[in-house]
Amino acid sequence: MWAGRGRAAVSACALIALAGCGGSGGDAKELTVVMWGGDDQQKAVSAYVEPWGKEQGVKIKQDSPTDYAKFRAQVEAKKVSWGVVEVEPNFAVTACKSGWALKIDKAKIDTSKLDQKLVGDCAVPTLQYAFTIGYNTTVFSAQNHPKTWAEFFDTKRFPGKRGFWKYATGAMFEAALLADGVPADKLYPLDIDRAFRKLDTIKKDIVFYETGEQQQQLVSSGETPLIQAWNGRIFAAAKEGKPVANEWNQHLLSYDQLVIPAGYKRADLAQQWLNWFLNNPKAQAIYTNHSAYAPASDAALDYVNPDVRKEIPTSPENAPKRAAIIDYSYWADNYDKVSERLNEWMAQ
Amino acid sequence: MTAEAATAEPAAPAVRRGLPRLDRWGLLVLPLVGFLLAVLVWPLTAVLLRSFTDPEPGVENYLAFFHSPVYLDVLVNTFVTAGLVTLVTLLLGFPYSYLMTLASPFWRGVLMLAVLVPFWTSLLVRTFAWVLILRDTGVVNELLPGPPVPLLRNLPGVLIGMVQVMLPFAVLPMYAAMRGIDRRLLQAAEGLGARPAFAFWRIYAPLAVPGVAASALLVFVSSLGFYVTPALLGGPKNIMIGELIVQQLSGVLRWGFASALAVILLVVTGGLLMLMSRLVDLRRLLGGAR
Repeated sequence: MWAGRGRAAVSACALIALAGCGGSGGDAKELTVVMWGGDDQQKAVSAYVEPWGKEQGVKIKQDSPTDYAKFRAQVEAKKVSWGVVEVEPNFAVTACKSGWALKIDKAKIDTSKLDQKLVGDCAVPTLQYAFTIGYNTTVFSAQNHPKTWAEFFDTKRFPGKRGFWKYATGAMFEAALLADGVPADKLYPLDIDRAFRKLDTIKKDIVFYETGEQQQQLVSSGETPLIQAWNGRIFAAAKEGKPVANEWNQHLLSYDQLVIPAGYKRADLAQQWLNWFLNNPKAQAIYTNHSAYAPASDAALDYVNPDVRKEIPTSPENAPKRAAIIDYSYWADNYDKVSERLNEWMAQ
Repeated sequence: MTAEAATAEPAAPAVRRGLPRLDRWGLLVLPLVGFLLAVLVWPLTAVLLRSFTDPEPGVENYLAFFHSPVYLDVLVNTFVTAGLVTLVTLLLGFPYSYLMTLASPFWRGVLMLAVLVPFWTSLLVRTFAWVLILRDTGVVNELLPGPPVPLLRNLPGVLIGMVQVMLPFAVLPMYAAMRGIDRRLLQAAEGLGARPAFAFWRIYAPLAVPGVAASALLVFVSSLGFYVTPALLGGPKNIMIGELIVQQLSGVLRWGFASALAVILLVVTGGLLMLMSRLVDLRRLLGGAR
């Protein structure tokens, strides 16, 4: 989801990473946690990593943002300095198949209380979020705005530009197919040709964004009054007083996962923390109350503030409005092919 | 023994002529050579090797370049964009540098600062600032009457962003070259009857050419590697090859193909520079002149 943020920050190190610029993981009692960076990471780490570190006497170190090239380079060079890494699930599948990530040992990490759809062979969920219809509330009213993806694609009834994330896993294909009448349970495997035909109908009105900050700018300025948004970004902008809101109907559920890179020396600490985190709903809820990204386990919902519950995808109010959950096993197999087609389509 | 010594003797001057003489000061160059070997030559070799070996040995990655038209299109767009950025930067930078040579020390400092301060600001911050200025509801369009002028997510947006980044690279070499030009030559030309414009064109401009060439080369080659600025200020049609390389490297993780794209960019750039050096004597332009 937030790789855009990472991508923008990818440095020249990416090339050097080919030759392996990983650090060393010593035997000291410390754990390095890697997420997408920024304020969100600070809040997440202070909510549910540092309390564990204090309790166990483990020094918590951080790095950011997640960069899959660095991840792979560290593992291949056998110099792994990242202990637990927040990734998109399609990368988790690829990393697991390629042997870059450690298998989840269910004897050490209790995943029984989680929704099993969110658990992979090498990955456990960190948070859940939704691709919602974000809209500008000065341009469209709470009564009269697109409430389905079909209406989102209807530029006659709802004129104005539409924003999509520019990467193939950004759910634009899922939204286009839903808008074109594909039943939600028949979405996968995606009919990419059909999705492009639907996207063609609004191509001149599409604005592609790269980062979460851009997403907030575009919709709150009214430049792109409708946007396929990450619910937490809209929540954060609304909290700052910007005229934006989430439409929850037909939202697409997604999630991020945590993986342990293969060859990390203190994998034992990483596993201990993951087990603590997944079975500590209170700590998960602290971060949810800040970000409106839903907690990994539903048990944490009890600790979420009522005003935030209205803005998260797994609450009893919003869960029934869900269209589908993004199928990342499809994306693990098709990301490169569809990305190439998307590049072609954009360049046309 | 004696025969050997006799044959060795006359050979010595030839050796001396062929190699530059290194005294102990020459050792000072070793750290730089070592550094370049470690951070340039070695990684580049690794990239080259990988482009032919990952995922399988062969030229598959180079064939993939032609598999879809998008890669060639993006490569062409990269060179066109870099060329346009170079042109605009030189057109803006030349009079600016000239003005700097005429200004009083105080105003020269101000001009220098104006071009350098953005240079010290984070690229991302600057790029986002341009978004705020150029967007439909941005500063520029609020001041202009009528419907908003599209300045963002298109070529003008990319050019504005990139030219600002590149301006110091154009101004500094040109200013350095122009500062060294003896202005009395212009007076002499005018004294001999040349009109000021003619004297400027025939006397001053040719002397400034080395600086202009250095600027052009620096700006053009640096522009080829941009991707954050075009990604944020350009539209889908303004994508540059750097962005595709990063996509392949960090997103899709096809490192062999990413390496092939990088090698293609490097080879085409090298080829273009060689072609240019055929047309104009680059070595003379870049400092051999004085």
